[in-house]
Amino acid sequence: MQENNYALQMQDITVEFPGVLANDHVSIDCKKGEVLGLLGENGAGKTTLMNVLYGLYPPTSGKILLGGNEVHISSPSEAIENGVGMVHQHFKLVDTLSVIENVILGIPSKKQRLDLEPAKKRLLELCKEYELYVDPDEIVWRLPVGKQQWVEILKALYRDCKVLVLDEPTAVLTPAESDQLCRAIRRITADGRSVVFISHKLREVIQITDRVTVIRDGKLIGTIDTKDATQIKLAEMMVGRPVTIVRKERPVFEDKKPILVMEGVSAKDDRGIQALKNLNLIVHSGEIVGLAGVDGNGQRELAECIVGLRKLTSGSITIKDKKVNNVIADPSFVGFIPEDRQKTGLVMDFSIADNMIIKDYQNEPFAQNKILRYKVIKKHARAMIRKYNVKSPSEDVKVRNLSGGNQQKVVIARELDPEPVLDIAAHPTRGLDLGAVTNVHDILLKERNRGAAVLFISAELQEVMALSDRIIVLFGGEIMGDLNGETADQQVIGQMMLGQPLEVQK
Amino acid sequence: MKLLKNAKILDVPIIGDIVVSAGRTFLGIALGLIASGILIAITGVNPFVAYAALIKGAFGNAQAMSNVLVRASPLLLGGIAVSLGIKAGVWNTGIEGYMYLGAIGAAMVGVLDLGLPPVVHILLCFVCAAVFAGIWGAIPGYLRAYKGVNEVTSTIMLNYIAIYLTSWVVSNFSLLAQTDAFYPMSKQFLPSALLPILMPGSSLHPGPFIGIILCIVFYFVLNYTPFGFRTKMLGANPFAARYSGTNSNKQIMIIIIIGAVIGGFSGAVEVMGLKHRVFMDFVTGVGYESVAVALLAGGSPIGVVFSALFFAALKAGGATMSIETGVASSMSSIIIAMCMLFVIGVGVVDSHRLKKVVDTSKYDEADEIAEAPKGKVEK
Repeated sequence: MQENNYALQMQDITVEFPGVLANDHVSIDCKKGEVLGLLGENGAGKTTLMNVLYGLYPPTSGKILLGGNEVHISSPSEAIENGVGMVHQHFKLVDTLSVIENVILGIPSKKQRLDLEPAKKRLLELCKEYELYVDPDEIVWRLPVGKQQWVEILKALYRDCKVLVLDEPTAVLTPAESDQLCRAIRRITADGRSVVFISHKLREVIQITDRVTVIRDGKLIGTIDTKDATQIKLAEMMVGRPVTIVRKERPVFEDKKPILVMEGVSAKDDRGIQALKNLNLIVHSGEIVGLAGVDGNGQRELAECIVGLRKLTSGSITIKDKKVNNVIADPSFVGFIPEDRQKTGLVMDFSIADNMIIKDYQNEPFAQNKILRYKVIKKHARAMIRKYNVKSPSEDVKVRNLSGGNQQKVVIARELDPEPVLDIAAHPTRGLDLGAVTNVHDILLKERNRGAAVLFISAELQEVMALSDRIIVLFGGEIMGDLNGETADQQVIGQMMLGQPLEVQK
Repeated sequence: MKLLKNAKILDVPIIGDIVVSAGRTFLGIALGLIASGILIAITGVNPFVAYAALIKGAFGNAQAMSNVLVRASPLLLGGIAVSLGIKAGVWNTGIEGYMYLGAIGAAMVGVLDLGLPPVVHILLCFVCAAVFAGIWGAIPGYLRAYKGVNEVTSTIMLNYIAIYLTSWVVSNFSLLAQTDAFYPMSKQFLPSALLPILMPGSSLHPGPFIGIILCIVFYFVLNYTPFGFRTKMLGANPFAARYSGTNSNKQIMIIIIIGAVIGGFSGAVEVMGLKHRVFMDFVTGVGYESVAVALLAGGSPIGVVFSALFFAALKAGGATMSIETGVASSMSSIIIAMCMLFVIGVGVVDSHRLKKVVDTSKYDEADEIAEAPKGKVEK
């Protein structure tokens, strides 16, 4: 019975949300006593896949096998019954309860009286066995984040899970805490349990896992043994596209003027951690500057600083000699395609016509004497739908009902049609199919040829190399180097993405 | 449900939405009435007889209808105030407090003999009510917009403060309090500060019509002005609103204050049109019923007109029903609650159905791939 070697098999899992294929026939398997890394960028579909396992989303198709037997999991309680434990990225603990109360919360009991003593005893045994020492009587909110994670892990172990899923467990940990987690994972697998370790950090995956499965854009890219893997190889699997995108011919501009000038910019991320460190960057008219780097190295904060959504802690940003210190709502000045189009770029419950004017609604010709002119607004929307080839029967359709590619076209039409002097495109092709990707590339190139300054942020090396006149690599909030897009070498960029500055390499 | 799916009208934009939302509301109300009918039957009364009495009590004659309108007045004004908040994503549950403050404000000038002609005196009362209630509303507005304090908590707390403030004003504040009364109350409003009675022999004052006009005005404000666009955007997606340059904090504060001013009008109308005095518990519950009115209306200003009239009819008819058939008078509240639960319940079922419809009517991605690479975008 070869089957029984596997603690977990997920076969051909497909998950479809309206307009998005979150998982496209993904299969993974995890042997008993093994740590399987699940690697992929943000939004690649890792978490969705694990949520299917945990019964949070029903898969559109595919099946799940645990220990060789097919199971149907339609709720977390069924998942727990089947021996699946999950530690979410954002902990699901009740802050005001004690550790032991959190651990036994949700475990059915026939007794009418709550008796914590046997539970405490068992928990302390587990603590000892896995060297995750936590005081059972401590209130959870008083624990540091690292220990809260231990509570989550102990919770799963208390329920005797066979497969433990850790979703981005190190995102909130200090390096020392990460090391401790590593050791705990080793002990957990030593007695035959399996761990699925979700991450987009290459180093950890190589350190901790036995095998790695890479997912990109909801599709399975491949599974390899960790001992055969290198950071560069994994990075390629994670960000590379299967189809090579050819670099397109472009006219050369002689009189380039600096448009975006950033000097000594520093900023913090949402958690208050330094995200940008003393950054200097100039983008000229008529050029595309590609900003490459593994996700989460400051790209998002950089874009938000430029458009005024994030406060700088030091330094200055000027666009065409104008200082930026507020949200830029002038579409003829800066066009910004945000990273998360559904959350920030669009109002999903508004019609296409309304979404076309969310920056411009109070200006002529859309409003006159404080009254919206729907005739003009709808006419404008129809023109945009034609020009940008948005697939929709009418301008009154809610954006929610469009596919991802068409939603992006709405954002692009709104942001780039007024011909801004500076375009910022943050991951504009993420989650789009190849046709839509090419379409976006063509549009950005046209913008450059019109004379706009284009800052193109992407984690996909192929498209950065195909599109950019200059390539900047960001790592840990710092610029690792500035390369000519024509002659850049993929190996060199890859090294820079992993944190080796250009000068050091030379 | 299958039948609904095949109905072509649901695919038509806008009209389809209206049909769906109106149909949903009516279905919910119908189910609520059936469920309440069962409860009435359990209490030993024929539900058809009871409902007949209810309808007679609400619409039987001109007197009854005027009674419905009078009861609808604070619900209309309160409902539109809450609806406006819902559109912007805030729960303005302080209507009760605004009504008290508006009433005090109106009384400040309403009980004084200023020798003014009625129109001017009435307008002055309204202005004073708006100022009092507006300042009151600025407190939760500021706390929510700039300090992140949950507006439900702060407005409800302020409601209690408003009630006891009123109590103090009508018993100890010498400018307003009627000192020799058997019950703490304010002095009577001067005749020049009272709203006219529109139908002789009834207590029908212009309040309900002011309410209906305001509902229509805000329908246009929400749908046809930049201010309304900003408000809806804030409610539908605050992140996108911020990204498009909206000053969300300011907008939230303005919306809460507008709600407070309308609530203040509501209180002023009650005392100037119906009660003629301010006393401590002259609005018990109406402020919270406004929230229910707005919920039943789904936050739509035109919906508020219908749902406020529906509430008022049930309340007015419920009184007759209980007198004529012996059903407990609390039954009208139960009927309202039943209808609300079913309308909300049907809404949940419906949104599931809509999701599926969207899923099946998705556009074919295949032809997009075929066309897109040609780069149709010509500058």
